[in-house]
Amino acid sequence: MTSTLADTSTESEAGTVAPIPRWSAIRSRARRLIAFLLSSLIGLVIGGVIIGITGHNPVDAYRALVDGALFGPNFVNLVSTINRAIPIVGMGLAAAIAFRAGFFNLGGEGQLVLGGLASALAALYVPLPAPLLMPAAVLCGALAGGLYASFAAFLQFRLAVPLLISTLILNYPARDFATYLTNHHFRDIATGMNETHTVPDAARIPLLPGGTELHAGLFILLSILLGAAFLTKRTTLGYEMNMAGLNPRFARYGGISLQRLGYTAMFASGAVAGTVGAILVLAEFGRYIDGALTDPLYAWTGLMAALLAGSGPFGVAAAGLFFAALETGAFGMEQTTNVPQELAQVLQAIIILLIVSRTGLRAGEDRTG
Amino acid sequence: MSELHSIFNDTLLNSTVRSVAPILLAGLGGLLCARVGVFNVALEGLMLIGAFFAVVGSYYSGHAMVGVVTAIAAGALFATVLAVLAVSLGGNEVVIGIALNLLATGLTVFLMRTMFSVQGEFQDDRIKGFPALSLGPVGNIPILGPIVSGHTWIVYCSWLLVIATYVLLFRMPLGLRMRGVGELPQAAASLGVSVRKMQYTALILSGALCGLAGAQLSLSLRLFTENMSAGRGWIAVVAVMLGQANPFGVLGASALFGFADAVGFNLQGNLPSELTGAIPYVATLMALAIYQARRRATRSAGTPLEGS
Amino acid sequence: MPPELELHSIVKRFGHVLANDGISMTVDQGEIRALVGENGAGKSTLMSVLYGELRPDAGEIYLRGERQIFRSPVDAIHAGLGMVHQSFMLFPSLSVFENVIYGVEPTSRGLIDRRRATGEVRDIAERYGLRVNPSAKVAHLPVGVRQRVEILKALYRGADILILDEPTGVLTPQEGEGLFETLRALRAQGKTILFITHKLHEVMRLCDNATVLRDGRVTATVRVAATTPEELSRFMTGRDVLLHVEKPAVEPGRLMLGVEQLTVLDEAHRHLVADVSLEVRAGEIVGIAGVAGNGQTELIEALVGLRPVGAGRVMLQGRDVTHGSVADHRRAGLAYVPEDRVHVGVALGASLAENLVMGFQSRPPISRRGLLRLDGIKEFARRLIHRYSIKVSRASAPASSLSGGNLQKVTLARELSHDAPCLIAEQPTRGLDIGAIEFVQQQLLDYRAKGNAILLVSAELSEIRALSDRILVMLEGKIVGEVPGAEATESRLGMMMTGAHEEVTPRAVTAEGVP
Repeated sequence: MTSTLADTSTESEAGTVAPIPRWSAIRSRARRLIAFLLSSLIGLVIGGVIIGITGHNPVDAYRALVDGALFGPNFVNLVSTINRAIPIVGMGLAAAIAFRAGFFNLGGEGQLVLGGLASALAALYVPLPAPLLMPAAVLCGALAGGLYASFAAFLQFRLAVPLLISTLILNYPARDFATYLTNHHFRDIATGMNETHTVPDAARIPLLPGGTELHAGLFILLSILLGAAFLTKRTTLGYEMNMAGLNPRFARYGGISLQRLGYTAMFASGAVAGTVGAILVLAEFGRYIDGALTDPLYAWTGLMAALLAGSGPFGVAAAGLFFAALETGAFGMEQTTNVPQELAQVLQAIIILLIVSRTGLRAGEDRTG
Repeated sequence: MSELHSIFNDTLLNSTVRSVAPILLAGLGGLLCARVGVFNVALEGLMLIGAFFAVVGSYYSGHAMVGVVTAIAAGALFATVLAVLAVSLGGNEVVIGIALNLLATGLTVFLMRTMFSVQGEFQDDRIKGFPALSLGPVGNIPILGPIVSGHTWIVYCSWLLVIATYVLLFRMPLGLRMRGVGELPQAAASLGVSVRKMQYTALILSGALCGLAGAQLSLSLRLFTENMSAGRGWIAVVAVMLGQANPFGVLGASALFGFADAVGFNLQGNLPSELTGAIPYVATLMALAIYQARRRATRSAGTPLEGS
Repeated sequence: MPPELELHSIVKRFGHVLANDGISMTVDQGEIRALVGENGAGKSTLMSVLYGELRPDAGEIYLRGERQIFRSPVDAIHAGLGMVHQSFMLFPSLSVFENVIYGVEPTSRGLIDRRRATGEVRDIAERYGLRVNPSAKVAHLPVGVRQRVEILKALYRGADILILDEPTGVLTPQEGEGLFETLRALRAQGKTILFITHKLHEVMRLCDNATVLRDGRVTATVRVAATTPEELSRFMTGRDVLLHVEKPAVEPGRLMLGVEQLTVLDEAHRHLVADVSLEVRAGEIVGIAGVAGNGQTELIEALVGLRPVGAGRVMLQGRDVTHGSVADHRRAGLAYVPEDRVHVGVALGASLAENLVMGFQSRPPISRRGLLRLDGIKEFARRLIHRYSIKVSRASAPASSLSGGNLQKVTLARELSHDAPCLIAEQPTRGLDIGAIEFVQQQLLDYRAKGNAILLVSAELSEIRALSDRILVMLEGKIVGEVPGAEATESRLGMMMTGAHEEVTPRAVTAEGVP
């Protein structure tokens, strides 16, 4: 890892007169990792108690959880975990980009849905030569998500409607609109469900070689991840976003236009969310299925990962992967032990709460990772 | 013309009043928290918890009132978690609030499946609900009668609670201290008022109110659905903002949403249901935009979260 | 009869800083005791200990001969102490009486007994000659009246001993006289007053006795009638002369900052800045004097681009930047050292290097074509740290680890290194110790000698007078006068600051606060 300006920035320890030596910085990172591990442990214990209360054996349940997350014949479960991690981490990165610059984007779900639908419609109805179809569809998804998020930014900067509220509320019309469009205009009548036709093969995101279910969406995600890391540590824009997130008054005073930054951050955030939608549609489902993008709660899980990890890209990826493992594992756990898979969500929330309380984590103030 | 009448008729306002109640109750809770300086975004999850545990209580006891008490207790308990983590341990209340919302969603489904072995929706004859109360002669008053009569006691209670909240905040010592705590906690502390205690009080009260709101949701239909609160808690958060943390303001804002919701419902004959469902949200956003435009603060160096 | 208040060998340490080093003092009932000392001498710490905000490491407090242990201000209030802080602890949206009764509300059947409350407040106010309208909202009240409310708060809770911490800092000289009258009336009623100040003329006017602190110790306890300001100053500083900076004569050059009839309005279209015109030329320092709250802050914000301009023009090096953004202003050649260095001047969560780079991030050597150049940043930061002697272990340390004085240096270093032809500096030495003050003032003079223009806003008249070539006085949003530096005496400036053109005489204080 290249060294950066901020690689030893720690949580503010106000009142310290003496400068902090390097050891303390490492100690602080280690402290956060320990807090994370400890919280996860306590969370698992609490989860075990819950499982026990409902009449199941916690040990069996957890064993099935781990198996369901990582193993299975030919590691098929691990593949599922990774595939699930793609949208979660992606949505986490989307939230993190905005959050790091000081903007609350809670509208990931709406942007995700519009992006997915846009990519499906582009793949189905835009006449393009085969090699261009997939990239164009993904691009359309990104654009849809980005524009929708920018609309919320517009409401903030022109009409002073707080982003926290507007992004939240805009989720609902977005989902309703997508349902409406699918149901009344683009529906594949043949299947009994509310979904579009399958996109042409040329538009599908291909599987990776190796005979598994892993798909090339993984590469798209990794590029986004590396791009986000590069942006935040190595570019002027990233610097400005970091400063705006840490102290917007300072950024304004220094000549940074919070408005320009806000539009950029929100557009980027929405575009990533839209891309995730496109990946889900083009790689996993092959069509836009109403509800399929929102039922698994990717946007919210991703948001939690972002808030937890202090919005540093690699931290988000790690947290997202962890949550994906929990969820995939819980699905397998339900198959074998009948413990409802919603336990994963419960565990996630409990762990988050524990972490937030143990470190007194003020979301967004940590800038390591 | 008859189409307009099919939309704007008596039942419209009656259903408005019904839709308003849970939002109003949650909004009252939210405004108390706002007054002590805590931004409570867990109203959604608290309401959901209330809805679920109301059904649980009613189911096992056979009495709707027990369901209500269970709901209030569960909401208060859930809110205590928020209080401990945010007030005593100093965590970020928005992050904790969102996490609690997720916890509520997962927990209610988990419990529904483990306790009742059903998925999606839990309905049973053993769940006792509340009858619609006829207000007798009041119900016969022209125009006003049909709107006001025929609701559960919780709805009527919510109106009384608006007044009660007002009296608490502006006429009672507790309310004065709460307002001071929210405005300038150091000053309050210097005068011997415990900031922590005030914030706990507000949070627990909000949990109880949201529990009651949830009870209204589930017991009036005598069932529990996954994600029953359906964003109403978030609308309540907006209502607190629009209503400037004032009980009557929150009432107005909630009424606005409820009205838009009911209009949307009535429009379902004429417009696709997906679009009518979006009406209240769009209306709320527009109301917020108009409200902010009128407030038009000078360009101050606030955080982006507060608008700049 | 035992003395009203006795402090015995109070010791208070913060880390390795000994704020109070065995301080003892005895105060009699009905006395107005001044507590004087420079910034950092330990006055505020001592009063915080007395008021129960801090626990002393050693030493005792006696009230009327009885030992007291205060675990919090609540205990101190019970024992009869009342404190009026420098920054008021009032709730702006609540009314006067609500503020006064807060926490000890009289009730009737569970509700606040408003009639009794307003009646009691009115009674106390009249008894001590503090005219207020109990129902007025504090937010609408001018500063002088708010201070009266603070005093009322203490009296309502039965304070016999009143502590006032630098109370005249936010008052006009007229309001200050009103305060003195009030304090004399309180003394006549048997109250004891502790008056913290660093303004010696106030001590001479008002107080019976003075306790002088220096470096955490008592250097003298004297009867005011038997001493002089010079003697007090010597006890305070240990030397006769406070500050000495060399100001060479510089010939003013071309016009750098031109302001024409600038008007700034608030939301209610009231004038915050009214028709202000001024000029700053290369090689000169123009100082703006005036009591805080007369529009200086808003004027500066408008000049920098942080606040919209209602009418008028702002020209920087000939370019019209009136409605420009902050970036436009900076590009036109402006640098700005803000008053609030903690919340505006730095980002505490960022590293020192990141803070130093703000404003430069779009050009070489810091970046090229949008990409940061890490070696350029490191070098830039290293150079500034060295040049300004900023005490830090290395450039990537978080800014929060720096002391207040060092943070000010960070802001100053950054803004000066822009080499902008026009620099605006607000309260550049507030809260700094003597050595740092001298350093900063010298830096400003050197900047001026290089041919740059400086607009200086400071509440310290001595600083304005020492540094400025010309001094403008602001009152109620207007420039009421201009004085060449050489002719600016404190009394002349003081008169202009209050709008009087003759000696300031105390007038009867009227009730205020009626909407």
